[in-house]
Amino acid sequence: MNTLSSKAGLTAKLYEINWLLVALVTLVGLVGVVMIFAATDGVWSRGAQQHLMRLIVAGGLMIGVAMVDVKVWYTLAYPAYIGALLLLIGVDVMGVSVNGSQRWLDLQIIRLQPSEIMKLAIVLALARYYHDLPKWRVSRFFGLLGAAILILMPMALILRQPDLGTTLLVAATGVAIAFLAGVNWRVIGGAALASAVALPLFFRFGLKEYQRSRILTFLDPTRDPTGASYHITQSKIALGSGGVSGKGFMNGTQRQLEYVPENRTDFIFTVIGEEFGLIGSLLTMGLYMLVIGLCIWLSMQCKHIFSRLLVLGLTTTFTLYIFINLGMVMGLAPVVGVPLPLISYGGTVILTVMTGFGLILSAHLHRKNELPRSSF
Amino acid sequence: MPEFDEGIITRRTAMLGAGGLGVFGVLASRLYYLQVVKAEDYRVLSDDNRFNFNITIPSRGRILDRFGENLAVNSQDYRVVMVPEQVKDIEATLKRVSDVMPLNDKTIKRIKKDIREHAGFVPILIDDHLDWKTFSALNLNIPDLPGVIPEVGEGRFYPNEGIFAHTLGYVGRADPRDVQKDDDPMLRQPTFRIGKTGVEAAADKTLRGAAGKLKVEVNALGRVVREWPEPKDKAVDGKDIWLTIDAELQRYAAELFEEDSGGIAVIDVMTGELRTLLSMPTFDGNMFVSGLTQDDMNKLNNDEKRPQYNKVLSGGYPPASTFKMAVMLAGLESDLINVEGKTVCTQKIRVGNRNFHCWKRGGHGLVNMRDALKQSCDIYFYELGQIIGMDRIAQMGRKLGFGTAFDVGISGVKSGIMPDPAWKQAKLGNGWRTGDTLNASIGQGFVLATPLQLAVMAGRLANGRKALVPNLLIGQDLPEMEDLGIDPEHIAIVQDAMWSVCEEPGGTAYRDNGVGIKGFDMAGKTGTGQVRGISTSERLSRLRRNEELPWKLRDHSIFVGYAPYTNPRFAVGCIVEHGGSGSKRAASIVRSVLNKALERDGVKPVTEAKTGEQSL
Repeated sequence: MNTLSSKAGLTAKLYEINWLLVALVTLVGLVGVVMIFAATDGVWSRGAQQHLMRLIVAGGLMIGVAMVDVKVWYTLAYPAYIGALLLLIGVDVMGVSVNGSQRWLDLQIIRLQPSEIMKLAIVLALARYYHDLPKWRVSRFFGLLGAAILILMPMALILRQPDLGTTLLVAATGVAIAFLAGVNWRVIGGAALASAVALPLFFRFGLKEYQRSRILTFLDPTRDPTGASYHITQSKIALGSGGVSGKGFMNGTQRQLEYVPENRTDFIFTVIGEEFGLIGSLLTMGLYMLVIGLCIWLSMQCKHIFSRLLVLGLTTTFTLYIFINLGMVMGLAPVVGVPLPLISYGGTVILTVMTGFGLILSAHLHRKNELPRSSF
Repeated sequence: MPEFDEGIITRRTAMLGAGGLGVFGVLASRLYYLQVVKAEDYRVLSDDNRFNFNITIPSRGRILDRFGENLAVNSQDYRVVMVPEQVKDIEATLKRVSDVMPLNDKTIKRIKKDIREHAGFVPILIDDHLDWKTFSALNLNIPDLPGVIPEVGEGRFYPNEGIFAHTLGYVGRADPRDVQKDDDPMLRQPTFRIGKTGVEAAADKTLRGAAGKLKVEVNALGRVVREWPEPKDKAVDGKDIWLTIDAELQRYAAELFEEDSGGIAVIDVMTGELRTLLSMPTFDGNMFVSGLTQDDMNKLNNDEKRPQYNKVLSGGYPPASTFKMAVMLAGLESDLINVEGKTVCTQKIRVGNRNFHCWKRGGHGLVNMRDALKQSCDIYFYELGQIIGMDRIAQMGRKLGFGTAFDVGISGVKSGIMPDPAWKQAKLGNGWRTGDTLNASIGQGFVLATPLQLAVMAGRLANGRKALVPNLLIGQDLPEMEDLGIDPEHIAIVQDAMWSVCEEPGGTAYRDNGVGIKGFDMAGKTGTGQVRGISTSERLSRLRRNEELPWKLRDHSIFVGYAPYTNPRFAVGCIVEHGGSGSKRAASIVRSVLNKALERDGVKPVTEAKTGEQSL
């Protein structure tokens, strides 16, 4: 089963991949191609084409990642995490500033967004951490401390960039993994209480001015009708004016007139809502739910904790992406700059998400393999 | 052997899964709220986002003279406007603009008022009629002044230095009263100009055209993304208005007036078309278009010759001796008078306890009706008036056009006064006296007429059959002209007497120095409108000559006439305020104007000049 060298074995292994998930992911990606095409006034070269190319490249990467034994990913978990941490520090020191925040590392060939890598690395690292951690220590002090350090270090670095959205995403994913790993309710209750106390302090001292402003605007949209809340208002107008059946493909007026900013990236869902209405919006959400549901189902078949937590952690990240983006577009969450995975235009995100699905497929493909626990 | 507690992780997976499902539920219901419940509201907002209706102002129609010469046109106007919603700091922007072109406090106040009263996207006029230098300086500074837009628009321009100002009127900004009366959206555009007076006001609807509604798509910044392919309503340019005026003739008349004040009307005796309608001095209508300065205003208001006053239509003057034709005709029509009957003029007669004087020192001696008109003997008309009475005189006066405000299509036409006993009773509350009749018989006293009415009278006398109605706008619906209702034989007697005034030695307007109408005879009547009372002592010693009097006290110089004597074409009424004797200033102007009118009309002498023939 795990004879990688045999050509026949390779074909058999390829066959074993969960192609349903591959198909669903590809379908979501193709929705992205179509909607970017619409968002760019039907100019093929202004995003749709690149999105398709990226899907193909990232799709290959996904299959490649899936074929690699999950044991390899287990082994690489900590090095990947440390590497990502170093890259984040690198951004801090020599990053390229885009739109006022330093998120990019210019490596000449590609511009790397280390926070994207960290989204995967944190899941790998925590999955391995809980895989290795004896069950009885999960809710003990040192067990908790290890997890907290693993989560807080990247959080602090990403917040410095500053990128509030990704920071929260990483935090939420980490907490979700700890929760799944079995941290007991007393600790969870304590943590919730601690956050309730820390949140106002964090809001006051931990945030940049523009981040505070975005949150305040979210709480009171009339505060600044042409500034930050403008995005939300115009986005709601786009969705609402779509009605049940939408204005029809390529007939959206909000997007044509550049009312909704960044509509091929973060606000792509407004194009779906405006042109395909409630029906199109719900279908898109349904597609996402199928992907998520399938991933959860796949996780249940994994025999060891690393794979389970890896699949569930990555699924959580993916789901949170969707929730935050849709909440933002519908005016339920502040504008934090989180893309709609697989549909929004943007290179690194596709790469990250597809690599994530590769890891999920790998965990599922190698679900029955033994994975010895490292000494802690 | 399971390496971990499968129970916990499965349970917790289920919990997170359920939570996720819940979030999806919230998102779906939010979508339902936005896309179903609130869909209509958002659809409206979305349309608001997309469309604006921009009002487009069409070109204003021109005003042309009868030959197509431009009297009022649209010229390129360099101006600068400001779109308030595109300006961050209005105060600072205005300050910057005033560095380039001085803006006085009044202008700034007006701009701020305009900004308050209009929607943010309506362009507000900062200033117009800029010279090229200022305009290019502004253009240079534009990159630093967002929302300030220099534009080349159309502005009203009146060539001819105001010679047609009273008739044409002028345009100006629509004031609140205009906006209240008229819901045309153009009026709310700060760059629009509405007709305020004269033809500009009277024919405003025709000249104005119809506003266009341009449906434009705008993006979130208010920038026009594109104009809708089919404009909702196309702007319809205003129609030109053609006047009956002969511009060249009117300019000529204006030159003849020189510095004098007064009015002159030239009328076609067949059609009633006004070839000239001039009030002097004039003012420059262009001043009103660009906005009058306080200085200009004071100058206009303090001028004793009252340039803004439309004397030819509104000025009421005693017609003086030019009224004698009406008295004469009234006498002829009354059958109470012997045409050849004579009276002796000894310069004064006594009626009641008052002396009434003739203008001629020493009197005219023995005069009949024809001589009385020819030499303008007052005594004869005093007696004639007494015989026939005021009612007959007033009746004839009205037939000739006195007391009527003719509708020539523009406002400001006054009726003058054609008094009679009933009028005096109603107006002053006391009875008519013989003295009033005597004064009226020589066109003094209560009688007041406008230069236009004098021209109409002359025209009706020249025409003889139809009650000529003056008109100014070509294409205007005119009522059928009524019959004058005067015995043609009586008309002929008056015409002959008027001929003798101009063409016979001894006539008050007779000139043997060759100044006359080349090839034609003319008929006319002088008038000298007295504006002061003459005391007995002055009359006994020596009448002061006009030149010795202050301008305001000098007599009005009046003349009515028509030419040619046979087959008349044009009639003229002319008053030169304080111009002295009618035989001088007014007569010479009329003579020249008639000469020019006939020349321009291409009238060739077809009949021989009438020579000294004593008719009837």
